[in-house]
Amino acid sequence: MPGNYMPSAAELFRFSPELLLTAAGTLLMIFEAITSPKQKRSLPVFAFLSLLAALALAVAASSDPGPAFNRMLQVDGFATFFRVLVMAIGAVTILISTNYLKQAEHEGGEFYSLVLFSVVGQCLMATANELIMIFIGIEVSSIATYVLAGYLRDDKRNNEAALKYFLLGSFATAFLLYGVAWIYGTTGTTNLSGVRGVLLDPQNAPNAILISVALGLVLVGLLFKVSAVPFQSWAPDVYQGAPAPVTAFMATGPKAAAFAAFLRITMWAFEPVKNHWIPVLWFTAIATMIVGNFAALRQSNVKRLLAYSSIAHAGYVLVALTAASKTGTEAAMFYMVSYAAMNLGAFAVIAHVARKGERRVEIDDFAGLGNRQPLTAAIFTVFLLSLIGVPLTGGFFAKFYVFKAALDSQLIALTIVGLLNSAVAAFYYLRLIVIMYMQPAPEGVDTLPEPSLGIRTALVACSLATVVLGVFPSLVLDIAGRGASFIR
Amino acid sequence: MTLLELVLLIPAAGFLVALLLPKGNPKLVRNFALAVSLVVFLLSLGLIGAVTADPQHMQFERSIQWMQSPAIRYHIGVDGLSLWLVILSTLLTPICILVSWNSIQKNVSLFYAFMLLLLAGVVGVFVSLDLFLFYVFWEISLVPMYFLIGIWGHDKRIYAAVKFFLYTMAGSVLMLGAIIWLYVKSGSFDIPFILDSLGKGRLTLGASEGLWLFLAFFLAFAIKVPLFPLHTWLPDAHGEAPTAGSVMLASVMLKLGTYGIVRICLPLFPDAAKASANWIVVLALIGIVYGALVAMVQPNMKRLVAYSSVSHLGFVVLGIFSFNHFGMDGAVYQMLNHGVSTGALFILVGFLYERRHSLEIVDYGGVATVAPWLTILFVITSLASIGLPLLNNFVGEFLVLQGAAVANFPWAIVAALGVILSAVYMLWLVQRTFYGATPAAVKSHFTDLSPREWAIIVPLVALMLWMGVGSGSFLPAVRSSNDQTLNLVLKSTYARQSSPPAELVGRVTRPDLKESADAR
Amino acid sequence: MPNQLAPAEVWFPILTQVVFAVVMAVALVGVGLALGKRVKNKVKDSPYECGITPVGSARNRFSVKFYLVAMLFILFDIEAIFLYPWAVVYRELKLFAFFEMLLFMALVLVGFFYIWKKGVLDWAVDETSDEKIQ
Repeated sequence: MPGNYMPSAAELFRFSPELLLTAAGTLLMIFEAITSPKQKRSLPVFAFLSLLAALALAVAASSDPGPAFNRMLQVDGFATFFRVLVMAIGAVTILISTNYLKQAEHEGGEFYSLVLFSVVGQCLMATANELIMIFIGIEVSSIATYVLAGYLRDDKRNNEAALKYFLLGSFATAFLLYGVAWIYGTTGTTNLSGVRGVLLDPQNAPNAILISVALGLVLVGLLFKVSAVPFQSWAPDVYQGAPAPVTAFMATGPKAAAFAAFLRITMWAFEPVKNHWIPVLWFTAIATMIVGNFAALRQSNVKRLLAYSSIAHAGYVLVALTAASKTGTEAAMFYMVSYAAMNLGAFAVIAHVARKGERRVEIDDFAGLGNRQPLTAAIFTVFLLSLIGVPLTGGFFAKFYVFKAALDSQLIALTIVGLLNSAVAAFYYLRLIVIMYMQPAPEGVDTLPEPSLGIRTALVACSLATVVLGVFPSLVLDIAGRGASFIR
Repeated sequence: MTLLELVLLIPAAGFLVALLLPKGNPKLVRNFALAVSLVVFLLSLGLIGAVTADPQHMQFERSIQWMQSPAIRYHIGVDGLSLWLVILSTLLTPICILVSWNSIQKNVSLFYAFMLLLLAGVVGVFVSLDLFLFYVFWEISLVPMYFLIGIWGHDKRIYAAVKFFLYTMAGSVLMLGAIIWLYVKSGSFDIPFILDSLGKGRLTLGASEGLWLFLAFFLAFAIKVPLFPLHTWLPDAHGEAPTAGSVMLASVMLKLGTYGIVRICLPLFPDAAKASANWIVVLALIGIVYGALVAMVQPNMKRLVAYSSVSHLGFVVLGIFSFNHFGMDGAVYQMLNHGVSTGALFILVGFLYERRHSLEIVDYGGVATVAPWLTILFVITSLASIGLPLLNNFVGEFLVLQGAAVANFPWAIVAALGVILSAVYMLWLVQRTFYGATPAAVKSHFTDLSPREWAIIVPLVALMLWMGVGSGSFLPAVRSSNDQTLNLVLKSTYARQSSPPAELVGRVTRPDLKESADAR
Repeated sequence: MPNQLAPAEVWFPILTQVVFAVVMAVALVGVGLALGKRVKNKVKDSPYECGITPVGSARNRFSVKFYLVAMLFILFDIEAIFLYPWAVVYRELKLFAFFEMLLFMALVLVGFFYIWKKGVLDWAVDETSDEKIQ
């Protein structure tokens, strides 16, 4: 294949956020190796600043949208939306992590460099216009996250979580890759636009069964990544076992990126055959909401509870995907933002309360928090109300847009099941509010130190985002609308 | 900024300020909350003039675009239907703050902050003219009440609070679904706009579509009312809530449900409302009798009053679904009456509780000998609740019965049974509590009313008398508002078979209600 | 690209081959099972160790350094494998490929530098400095 492979300056500029993050991550490894323990304090600051710089670059790059690297990447509003989101998630994760790692006596530059690498992978997933690039993005993001999940290597739970995540994750990516191979076999291309072109061409339409099998295999991989039923069983164990800041990261960043890839594949490449995948997603959405919510009802560990809740939330996003429309895509994009804000916040509170060794992650450990630390409890309540979907929070509008999109597409049964599910969900979030405000702290409970600066910043940022999304949702929805313009 | 906006926004701002006030100074928070709620009450009185002058149209209307897509408007206004309900809310809030003056000792600033948020929430529901805004306030009012019950309630408070939240939530999510569906169909959340579209035929709802939407809204409202099989959260919530919570719950929050039926269910889905009227009325009648019977055997005073609310609210629903002027006016008037008299009952029970620290009726007896003034006021309130002529409930119940009789005579007979039963349980409660032998514990604990308690209860008792003899001050505004709703319902295509031609009922034979109320 | 699956006859040779492979595998194992003579004694049950009599317990702990070295070997080995396909297309990609590989090698070098500085390669230090390996 002849041709000039040298990327142009414009292409490099479009890819600059990822380049910057990779360079920063690599530098962090070198710094980690050569700095004294005292100098290591500045490593998280460096990581945080490089994320912000990459975020600025991503915004700047959106001024000149277009393809890069032989159409393997597509920098457009959609990509920018998710890039900015995952970078912001990475930045908040760093804020939550610093004090946690200090308590665990495991400070190190590797942690931050792994976060950066994982964010790079997620950015790739959001930008990819090519199945192979999506695969590489998933792998880059996942491998870094596997290590993060087992970061405290003296902790058995961490080890177990990392191993489970690794084994099941590789299994799922194997499915995905198998599906990609089938797609290449049936359509002769792995480029998303190319696949779309083949599917739209009536002269050249591939065999329907083959394309369904190929798509099915890809969907298995993606559904695993977003922890949808029946591929959800890893999530509770992994979320429970991993360090709380890493759980916050895993529950938001990779999930957002996976949904970005999901949307590109279903709403763009395979949009011409949407009749094939809509029924699958319909069943998956219902099963995911029901399994997530009903399993969460019985949990006593807060991390596990939020793990099931995040499964249920994936179900709501799948409802938006089932709508298979532009409004559905916007709704899913909006959902990921408000979900990230409230979940990061909630896990930040958990990381704060759990402290060293995470010995305080049962629901009862939150007893009396309303009196012990009124402000922390109030902010946690905001996140929980948002997770329930009470108006004036981001979570409400997220659900609202999802169900509006579903009704737009005449998915009445799905909407009713979803709405009833959100009423069921109220129960387990309320349990946390109840315990914080309505039950006294047990006798002789040790005092909870004030949250560290990082956690405080993260809490303020997340709660502000949650409330602003709840009062002025159009701020984000308009951007999502422009991002979703690739859908007719 | 209009007067109505001030009434809505001052409590919301007060909520934020109360949270920020220094925690160590409960006195400051109490005085602040009282001042805010009194100011709001006085401001809300200013609404009366303009609304009573022209109750058919929305007054103090304000409509600003909140967001473009979806097209949500901040659209508020008040008319004859919502006016008195707004004032009832603003009146009861300072009273409840006074009631809680000494009895609330923990998390004081949070308590008063939630009282103000609750006020903002319920006023918001009453004045919203945008379905979305309505839903937002509907849910917001849920949160402070949940905390009021859960933090400051009695022993089983957590169970009661969670049950309350879940019941209401289950209903309201379906309402949200219906609201979105209406938006998808009509492109607007604006109630007047949707009504206009329906009237001009720009928007048509199929028969089964209308019925499902009606049911989705009605379920949310019926849970809040509460209508008979959905009432089980109410005794728990009332029984466990602190006095102020019980009062706000009974007097204001239950009215959100009946208000929603009149404001939204009837005008938007008149056909479905008429098609469903028969079974709804049956449920209301069951509620009237069942509530009264269960109230009779309650050993706990608050639960007794709670079940009496089930019975009284059954009257309201019966009145609404009689679809004539008597029933409708009576129903709206009864909402106000119930707010005043049941609120007062809960407050008086609260007074008893503060003295004896028990809600069990068996722990009392002979209170009349040690606290005669308390007894007198309690008896007056009980008689009002029973529906004694010259007191407020009589007017409302009479109108409802009249309306039911016009619509379908057997309904009135069953409902009248409820009136009789209410006399039985209330008077029996009075007898067991205030007369008979005085236990030593009662003798040693009881003092008569303090000045603060006088200040709380006198306005309510005065209002009971005024609403009983001077219903002309209140009813005309309600009546002309109801005219509009009824016109919408009656002129719609679907005619109800079992009742006399509806057109004839109110219009032709309508006597002057003021006369009939005053003539007794 | 075929619009439809090929007719069934075309698949016949493949089917034959699959059947043959299965039969062959089953037969070989089966014949061994059926005809083979089973001897059960201590020597037969002991683990195979290149013909020498096993010494000591099989459950000895290995130093963690063995694993580290094994893992690092695999990592660097795989990275080196990338050089082969690169060499194949080098003529075609020209300067682009050169810079790409330069970057790649630099990254590998950073990894090498990292493990060196972290003390993974300090093989001969005594036990007390174990925590240096991080």
